[in-house]
Amino acid sequence: MSMEEEVRALSAVPILANIDVAKLKLLAFISQRVTFHPGEILCRQGDEGDTAFIILRGACDVLVDSGKGEKKVAELGKNDIVGEIAVLFEVPRTATVVATAATETLSLSRDQLFTLMREFPEMSFDIMRILAQRLERTTQDLAALRSQIANHAA
Amino acid sequence: MERNFFRYIWRYSRKQQLIILAITLVSFPILYASLELPKIIINEAIGGKEFPKNYLGFELDQIEFLLFLSLTFLFFVGLNGVVKYVMNVYKGLTGERTLRRLRYQLFERVLRFRLPYFSRASSGEIIAMIASEVQPLGGFIADAIAVPVFQGGTLLVYIFFIFMQDPLLGAAAISLYPIQGWLIPRLQKRVNQLARERVRNLRELSEDVGTSIAGIRDIHANNTAAYHLAEFTSRLQKNFEIRYAIFKRKFMIKFINNLMNQITPFFFYSIGGYLVIKGQISFGALVAVLAAYKDLAAPWKELLTYYQNLADTQVKYVAVVEQFDPPDLYPVERLHAEPELDLSACSCIALSHVSYSGEGAGQELSDVSCTIQLGSKVAVIGAESSGRTQLLLMLAGLLSPTSGRIDIDGRSLDTLPQSVVGRRIGFVSGHPYILNDTIRFNLVYGLLHRPIAPAEEIEEEELHRRMVEASRTDNAPYEFFSAWEDLAEAGVDTVQELDRRAIDLIEAAGMNDEIYRLGLQARLPEAVGQQARETILSARAMIAETVGEGGAQADFVEFWNPDAFNRSASLAENIVFGVPRDPEISQRQLAAMPAFGKAIAAADLEETLLAAGHRLAETMVELFSAVSDGSDVLAAYSFIPMEELPEVTALLRRAKDGLAKLKQKDRQLLIGLALQLVPNKHRLGIVTPEIEEKVAAARPLVGETLRAEDPEGFDFFSREAYSEALSIEDNLLFGRLRADRARSRERAEAAIADCVDRLDLRPVIMRAGLDFRVGINGSRLSPGQRVKIGLLRVLLRRPDVLVVDDLIKGSGDPGERAMLAKLQEMTGDRTLIVGMAGHQLAEAFDHVIELQGGEVISAESREGTPPQSTRKGDEAGVAAAE
Repeated sequence: MSMEEEVRALSAVPILANIDVAKLKLLAFISQRVTFHPGEILCRQGDEGDTAFIILRGACDVLVDSGKGEKKVAELGKNDIVGEIAVLFEVPRTATVVATAATETLSLSRDQLFTLMREFPEMSFDIMRILAQRLERTTQDLAALRSQIANHAA
Repeated sequence: MERNFFRYIWRYSRKQQLIILAITLVSFPILYASLELPKIIINEAIGGKEFPKNYLGFELDQIEFLLFLSLTFLFFVGLNGVVKYVMNVYKGLTGERTLRRLRYQLFERVLRFRLPYFSRASSGEIIAMIASEVQPLGGFIADAIAVPVFQGGTLLVYIFFIFMQDPLLGAAAISLYPIQGWLIPRLQKRVNQLARERVRNLRELSEDVGTSIAGIRDIHANNTAAYHLAEFTSRLQKNFEIRYAIFKRKFMIKFINNLMNQITPFFFYSIGGYLVIKGQISFGALVAVLAAYKDLAAPWKELLTYYQNLADTQVKYVAVVEQFDPPDLYPVERLHAEPELDLSACSCIALSHVSYSGEGAGQELSDVSCTIQLGSKVAVIGAESSGRTQLLLMLAGLLSPTSGRIDIDGRSLDTLPQSVVGRRIGFVSGHPYILNDTIRFNLVYGLLHRPIAPAEEIEEEELHRRMVEASRTDNAPYEFFSAWEDLAEAGVDTVQELDRRAIDLIEAAGMNDEIYRLGLQARLPEAVGQQARETILSARAMIAETVGEGGAQADFVEFWNPDAFNRSASLAENIVFGVPRDPEISQRQLAAMPAFGKAIAAADLEETLLAAGHRLAETMVELFSAVSDGSDVLAAYSFIPMEELPEVTALLRRAKDGLAKLKQKDRQLLIGLALQLVPNKHRLGIVTPEIEEKVAAARPLVGETLRAEDPEGFDFFSREAYSEALSIEDNLLFGRLRADRARSRERAEAAIADCVDRLDLRPVIMRAGLDFRVGINGSRLSPGQRVKIGLLRVLLRRPDVLVVDDLIKGSGDPGERAMLAKLQEMTGDRTLIVGMAGHQLAEAFDHVIELQGGEVISAESREGTPPQSTRKGDEAGVAAAE
């Protein structure tokens, strides 16, 4: 349960990849460690969320209800992240996450992250850069997909 | 009020003044003896020859005689000191009593001002006047009679002596007095004028400060700080100029006095010398006159100082008193008279040709006549500037018409004492006055008319003493430390029933949830009996059972267990296994408590805690040193307040030589930090399993030491006993919420609510919630809550006539409709008069009066009584009725 472990877990979060260790330590200190028993729900599809969970140990199922009953779409384990985007802005949860084993998570709320970002504005730039890279990649993927579709149609 | 300060003093402290004078006169022979004795000792005892002496029948040789005289001297010196002491105390007492009377009279007058006067008077000025401006008058009061009599007398004696030597020299000695007597008052007059200006300016200055504080938000929001600073600067400038002018004149008066006193000897030398040379008076007589004249200067100076003080205090006194003398003050009986009219037996309120004007546009009424049947529900409809509020204030007896009459069964409402108006009539507006006390006090405030029973905690003797002293200065004949709650007026027999009724009202107003939550976080008031504590203990058992049944899933709370470390609680709580009784002592401050220090030393925990604190301090400095000072939000997470960070950094440097070398203060600081650690929440790896084990094992020893060192200091946890030092919620849970479980607060609240309802504990918790302190002007409440409390306060005392203004708009939305229905239900068959702007709810009333521009434009009554419409109103009224 040491802080180093938490800091390592935080540095594995993509949007926090560029943040230096000192800030991650601070972030780890102000975030909370929350445990879940098997069967307990981390987040529910459709709920508005403001918290990300980083799984330190244990296992979870990701369930999606597309109107015809819940269907398991993925399994999560150590160092996986739930609701990464929810920390940045209000968005309904896209899936339900249920613990399947005794699960320990580091929970990071939007308030906590924003407090830190206000204190260290350079953090915002790092996060922005990563988001921009992702957008760029998504745009490229989309362009590639479009040209594929166009080719296909032709 | 008396405008002449001297006469005021004479009127109220004549007896004391004469006593002061008597003591002054008595002190003179004593002073004289203590001055005369040294001469005798030197001339007769030391330098004397004829011994032994026969003195008062005793044979005394020289040494004995010397000792006798020396002891006598000592006696007189002592006696002189005692007399001076007695006189000074008595003078202080006289000044204080007179001042007390004056302050009381001023404040009583404030309570007798009519409402409109307050739109002109500023509270800042009134406060300054009563609190500080009258203070300097106190010093003068005791000197008012004694000084002029004594100094004047001394002066006369000297003058008489000089005249006896030679009338011509006598005339010379006082020749300049008439000039001084003529000139100095003239100079003083201008000083008085300036002093008056200064008082006014100072008052405006305090008013400026007052308004700046009241309007601080708008000052920041509009960037008007510079304007206010400039305004203040300008006032200070004026103050400076006035003060400077006063100084110049004051010292000019001094200069002239000194000069004149110096001129007189010129006459002595010239005229006196001439007379001696001519042989008309003896040389010895001239010397004696010169000596007497020297002594003359002192009392003369004293008299002039007295005159200046008198003038100064007179100005200050008048400047205050004239502000408290408006022509239309309510008679004093209105405050104190007992109720002699039974309003519930009256039948109607009749307004005949009532007009009002005075405060400005939109607040006047012209020629309103109507009759309101008591027991009916009346709506007064009118826009904000229709005179509606003024009419309602008049109906509540709070405002007097400028012309016309308002009668209750033939008695003029205006002449009724407050004991009728303020008890049997109730007025509620959208801006109630909320006192800086508890919610409960704000609710029962409407019942505090007269002391009902003496307070139990004060001894009778003490009460008597207070009463006697108060009556000496005609202060209020009511003892403040009494039970004031008029239970009969609320229709209850006991304080418990009163609390019940207050809670019922809170529920009716839909405030129960808020008060319940506040109650959970509060300590249980002592007034709530043992029974409630027992019930909470059963609820505690029930909650533990429920949580136990829930199995592993329900582990949202970590219960207190004497044998196990509680990872969701702080180290402090874990070590003491209890909390300090004094809520002011924080966990961090425990480290500085001697009893606690002894306890951790006895349990061998001191070094462990010190090391933990050291590690914690290092971590905090590392984490937070990059954070700027201004970040309060982040600071909330730190164990060390931001401003202490440099100090702790320095401490860590000192600690490099080993923790053992640290001073006591440094050690306490580190231990204090460690005590706040909650392992589950902070997870810094500092509280190791070994420490946890050690702490749990040390508890019996710690408890024993604490009980021995500070028997009253701590409240120890026990599953079987109610803990007064814990909040109700903590008592119910008997554990700490787990920081590491999702939604633990939510789940705990649900579990608590379930038990509370099953055991019917809600009223008890609400009672505790009523003890919540609301802050200045109720700042810790929402505006809506403040309005509700204002309304409930009046409803609690069940007035025969309830006047409500500004609470219901009359727009007819469902919330308002429900509120009105509730009000009508609560007032039952008593009179309810509601002022509102809209028409939508008019059909819910028996009688509707509509105002526009200060005139009644329609009046309709449903019970068949003919509407008492006014001149122009008739047609409009008929039209509206159709």
